[in-house]
Amino acid sequence: MNEQDLIQGLRNGDELAFKYLVLTYQDRVYNTAISIVQNVGDAEDVSQEVFIQVYRSIHHFKGESKLSTWLYRIATTRSLDLLRSRKSKKRFGFIQRLFGDGNEPLFELPDFNHPGILLEKKENAARLFRAIAQLPENQKIAFTLHKLENLSYQEISQVMGTSVPAVESLMHRAKQNLRKILEKEAK
Amino acid sequence: MKIESNKKVEEILSSLDGCQRVSAPDFYYTRLRARMEGRSGKSYNWILRPIYVVAALLLLLTVNTIVLLKGQNETSTTASDNLEVIQQSIAAEYSLNDNNSMYDLNQEK
Repeated sequence: MNEQDLIQGLRNGDELAFKYLVLTYQDRVYNTAISIVQNVGDAEDVSQEVFIQVYRSIHHFKGESKLSTWLYRIATTRSLDLLRSRKSKKRFGFIQRLFGDGNEPLFELPDFNHPGILLEKKENAARLFRAIAQLPENQKIAFTLHKLENLSYQEISQVMGTSVPAVESLMHRAKQNLRKILEKEAK
Repeated sequence: MKIESNKKVEEILSSLDGCQRVSAPDFYYTRLRARMEGRSGKSYNWILRPIYVVAALLLLLTVNTIVLLKGQNETSTTASDNLEVIQQSIAAEYSLNDNNSMYDLNQEK
């Protein structure tokens, strides 16, 4: 099924087209989400929300970019939304526990072990993920998409809606900041 | 010491090299469909969240208080009105309001 047929099928509410979309892109969306939110359960939630959003808003997709670019864009936006809500929950934890539905975790999330990392690198990767979590949002997205999804700077620029030099600059600053954070931790 | 630290940092930075893409969990599509189908039935659940329940109770309490206070004022006004009516009816019964009854003090019976 080519992309145009797939989009047309989705617009017509075709169940098979939706199944094809999910099976084709589920690993990319899930891997992006897990790399940003750094939690297995949250990653499944976020990635499912991405497909639900695609299912509901396919009529708004103008086809100016590739379907995969659109999916990456939704996945990164949704993941950042979750990180923001996690941060605000942490900040107003007491009040939210009073008024929320009581499912919020009361503890800090443990160090994240990315399932795709080689065993001998797991310890270093966990430290790197802790540092990545401290990066500004744009740098975090650029670095994660490049290192964990192997996207080119060109593809990242399309996902983030920016230019290639801007992505290069983001990557450069991300590496600088990561070095600073890691050096500070080593002291 | 500095060189060693730099080496360690570089080692950490390169720890993501060769990282493999993680596959979505088993039965991902089935679970996604279940979520999509279950969502329509769950749409009312937000209304049962404690914050909305507490807000609704507070609103109810406020409305009750306002109605009660207003009712009390009206009751006291009505009571004073009733008293006036009773006074007037007694006055009328005993012709106390009759200002036309002139007593001619010079008139002999």
